[in-house]
Amino acid sequence: MTIFAVVVSRLSKAILTLLAIAILNFFLIHAAPGDPAVVLAGEAGAADEQMIEQLRERFGLDQPLYVQLGKYVAGIVQLDLGYSFRQGAPVAELIADRLPATLLLTLTAFVVSLVLGIAFGVAAAARVGKPSDTVLTTMALLFYATPLYWLALMAVLVFSVWFGWLPGFGYETVGANYTGLERVLDIGSHLILPALTLGLFFTAVYMRMARASMLEVSQLDFVKTAKAKGLSDAVIRRRHILRNAILPVVTLAGLQAGQLVGGAVLTETVFAWPGIGRLMFESLAARDYNTILGVFLVSAAMVILFNIVTDIVYRIVDPRIGARS
Amino acid sequence: MWKRFRSNMGAMIGVVLLISVIVIALIAPLIFSDGPWQMVQRPFLAPFAVDGLPLGTDTLGRNVAAQLAYGARVSLLVGLVSTVVALLIGVPLGALAGFYGGYVDEGAMRFTEFFQTIPNFALAIVLVAIFEPTLTSITIAIAIVSWPPVARLVRAEVMSVRTREFVDAARLAGLSKPRILIQQVLPNTVSPIIVMASLMVATAILLESSLSFLGLGDPNSMSWGYMIGAARTVIRTSWWLSFFPGIAIVITVLALNLIGEGLNDAFNPHLSRKGKA
Amino acid sequence: MKYLKVTTFLIAAALASPVAAQEAGGRLDIVVQPEPPGLMLGLVQNGPTQLVAGDIYESLLRYDSDLNPMPSLAKSWEISDDGLTYTFKLNEGVKWHDGEAFTADDVVFSADVFLRETHARLRASLAYVKSITAPDPMTVVFKLKEPFGPFINAFENGTMPIVPKHIYEGTDFANNPANATPIGTGPFKFKEWVKGSHIHLVKNEDYYVDGLPYLDEVFYRVIPDAAARAVAFETGEVDVLPGGSVENWDIPRLAEMDGVCVTEKGWEFLAPLAWMWLNNREGPTANEKFRQAVMYAMDREFMRDVVWNGFGKVATGPIASSTNFYSDDVTIYDHNPDKAKELLAEMGYDGEPVRILPLPYGETWQRWAEAVRQNLSEVGINAEIDSSDVAGWNEKTSQWDYDMAFTYLYQYGDPALGVSRNYTADRIKKGSPWNNVEGYENLSLDEKWAAAATMVTPEEREAAYAEIQKEIVDDVPVAWMQELTFPTIYRCNVNDLVTTAIGINDGPRNAWIKK
Repeated sequence: MTIFAVVVSRLSKAILTLLAIAILNFFLIHAAPGDPAVVLAGEAGAADEQMIEQLRERFGLDQPLYVQLGKYVAGIVQLDLGYSFRQGAPVAELIADRLPATLLLTLTAFVVSLVLGIAFGVAAAARVGKPSDTVLTTMALLFYATPLYWLALMAVLVFSVWFGWLPGFGYETVGANYTGLERVLDIGSHLILPALTLGLFFTAVYMRMARASMLEVSQLDFVKTAKAKGLSDAVIRRRHILRNAILPVVTLAGLQAGQLVGGAVLTETVFAWPGIGRLMFESLAARDYNTILGVFLVSAAMVILFNIVTDIVYRIVDPRIGARS
Repeated sequence: MWKRFRSNMGAMIGVVLLISVIVIALIAPLIFSDGPWQMVQRPFLAPFAVDGLPLGTDTLGRNVAAQLAYGARVSLLVGLVSTVVALLIGVPLGALAGFYGGYVDEGAMRFTEFFQTIPNFALAIVLVAIFEPTLTSITIAIAIVSWPPVARLVRAEVMSVRTREFVDAARLAGLSKPRILIQQVLPNTVSPIIVMASLMVATAILLESSLSFLGLGDPNSMSWGYMIGAARTVIRTSWWLSFFPGIAIVITVLALNLIGEGLNDAFNPHLSRKGKA
Repeated sequence: MKYLKVTTFLIAAALASPVAAQEAGGRLDIVVQPEPPGLMLGLVQNGPTQLVAGDIYESLLRYDSDLNPMPSLAKSWEISDDGLTYTFKLNEGVKWHDGEAFTADDVVFSADVFLRETHARLRASLAYVKSITAPDPMTVVFKLKEPFGPFINAFENGTMPIVPKHIYEGTDFANNPANATPIGTGPFKFKEWVKGSHIHLVKNEDYYVDGLPYLDEVFYRVIPDAAARAVAFETGEVDVLPGGSVENWDIPRLAEMDGVCVTEKGWEFLAPLAWMWLNNREGPTANEKFRQAVMYAMDREFMRDVVWNGFGKVATGPIASSTNFYSDDVTIYDHNPDKAKELLAEMGYDGEPVRILPLPYGETWQRWAEAVRQNLSEVGINAEIDSSDVAGWNEKTSQWDYDMAFTYLYQYGDPALGVSRNYTADRIKKGSPWNNVEGYENLSLDEKWAAAATMVTPEEREAAYAEIQKEIVDDVPVAWMQELTFPTIYRCNVNDLVTTAIGINDGPRNAWIKK
């Protein structure tokens, strides 16, 4: 199949999948006890039946479930994610507001973890069997085993509270109104702790993958041939092994990339980072159905998109795969 | 195979650590007969400030050491059971998909893909919110978000095994397809499943602790995640309340990972990790 | 009854601080948690909204910490001797934030049309009102059907915020686009709301009280994590932590810092009282002896000291000590496990498990539920904690699916406004977590509640409520736990922050920063 054909077929399947996801999520969310009317009324501290009725009507909750579903799906098909009655704004707007912050965080963590992971992995593979390899591998295992939120807490404790080097929460210093370079630096300083914390786990994952991959490739015949030819270890590593070994790591990374949108709930909550993950969590607590569904949909769309992209890249780089299928 | 496993120092360390945790979990009711919820002393006591309280007390004056011990029970239980349930879902699904191929495969893969497109953690949170946090609902929620990789793995393994000669031989001998699947194919896929299972228990423990940290845990079960979450607001003054349960999680998960790696190395000696680059 | 007329001279005198001269200028950063769902106070009245919108909107009156009314949009007022006519004279030269003039028509519109439709709590008070009229642009007259003493307490910011008629008349209130940029008469104007981060208010240069407000701007910062809030305060990023922003355990530590002051004032009007709904309909809690046993089993002093860090007061009954007509001449339920066991044996408790539903508002409430569970298990009551989030809690309590459920409610200064609604039979209706959720039915007491509300003299009312309290405490329809105190933590150089009965909700109006 040509690449184009693959893309088209995958995309059309993706649309169907997304629709199915939207519908299933709809039922899932509505299965949770309570509804936004009850939550809002409760917070007012003195709701009476009239108020809850009014709210239900406003939110369209007084209609039968299948009608609500129908309206929702009709909206989705027209790319309308609905309205958040809780926050008084279109869901698309809310998501667009928060998406950049999440992407900044997850992309940074992603790139950092990929770079560090590969670097450490290659270094460890090069020194396999020696003490430095053990140190690096143990480090990776530790990162892998550490609960993300606990690490975040410890990081805040050490770097923000005890040493005061970095801010412990937030996106930027509010009201300071920095512009230009100052602003970039300000956001940057706020980004360090959350991105590192989020990235540490994946650094370990990529590192182990890279190391294993490097070792595996180095056993292959063409490497032995290169050695027999008299090329130095370093050159072999760089020119032959690395390029082939990187592939599985990148593939894995591509598959993980789909989690970029939804995977940062914990980090965002602990660091008060104004992103999508937190939006989803807060909307869940408030039973803001439309927002939760919107976040899930956007998230799913990104995952599917990245899967397709990764697939394509893999086929281009390794033509054997296309031939096999 | 066991010899290879035994000679892997990392794996043996993992086994020792895991057994220690299991033992502590088992004898917890014996050494800490008051249970983890009993308010025994003044709150916020530092470790060793008072005799018999080596890890101090928490916000309500409860024994932290007791909490750690009882927390081990919950973590291990949830980790184990949720993994078993995930396997019960994923293995049959993946096996059927890999063995029969065609529409069965398509359908199963779409189903699996659906679960993989929703971010793990977000789905777990929603499930727990729907079913209200209890040990049962958490275990099921974790199982539901964990089974897709199992299905994928089993499918891949089954697909590679079914092309082998002895399967052809079995078919020629007239064995029915289901019997071939169960008696011939699956047993050969067991080793990667075991490796995956050990890693899944580790992930399940991390997942459960994350949920408890966010306050979505079972309020009647002491769990390490719950301890960290409860101590979050007093981390400035009583940082050890967050520290120790975190270490407990690290040790347990680390042990499981070491064991998983060890098993992997033991099952696949030809992919020697110790080769020179 | 006749109230004194208060003139602008007295207002000015009251404002002039005897200690130091107020300095104009400066910016205040206050934490708001959780992020309000909206800022249009007429539509949304939850805590965070009242905190922020309390600077944007105003009502006819304000109240000092003894619950005495003070002028706000009304510069003076008069109550007729028969208690049926309330006449308010409004301040002159008041402008809405969009420049339009404020008149009595706005008041009539707000109370009679807008809030009647949107404000559940005010609706209950408006039931006593016969008519609301504006004989001239500067005067508003409320005529009641019968005397209703508490009515003078209904003119508070969150209870009757005055909204602009020229913006809302004839529109769909809930969907009016102006809701995104609230327009009020208050000392601060809405400038910007960056969702997830902060709300920015700026000084209303045309505010009708000369010299006020002193501050140039106020930022309400959204920080969802309690630990992060404490850190923000320590590092100087925020200046004020309103009550409830940080867990009580953090307060002593923060209070010890240099230049930090703490006050427990500012809650006199709301007077939050926490209790556990006890399901009077089914389960072991339907039995009066069981409920009394629960009261004796709990060590509420310990809970106050450990869970709430010593803040607050153990409750003796349905009325809080700062609310009008409180009486402590009632049966006191001290910590008496033996008596509890006795009562349980008497009623023949068979070990049936009871569920405790904590308020999903944070760690303190979780610990509280755990402490209760421990106390109950010590006398042999089989208790388990049921966990849920806010929506789940609302659902369970309003659908009566609980055994013991934590809650806290505001008293609004008078038993007729914020207390009786939880104990009268006519308020038993499924679907609300704020009425008579426990299902307590005592018709003779209902009559007494109704009578006490409309008695004319305070002395009569005091005697009536004392009788009610005595009787109801013996019935224990709910397990009264504690009068909550939510201390406000702030930098000492911020003066006059908490001067009214709603404290920080309208605090920035009078606040000034000493540089």
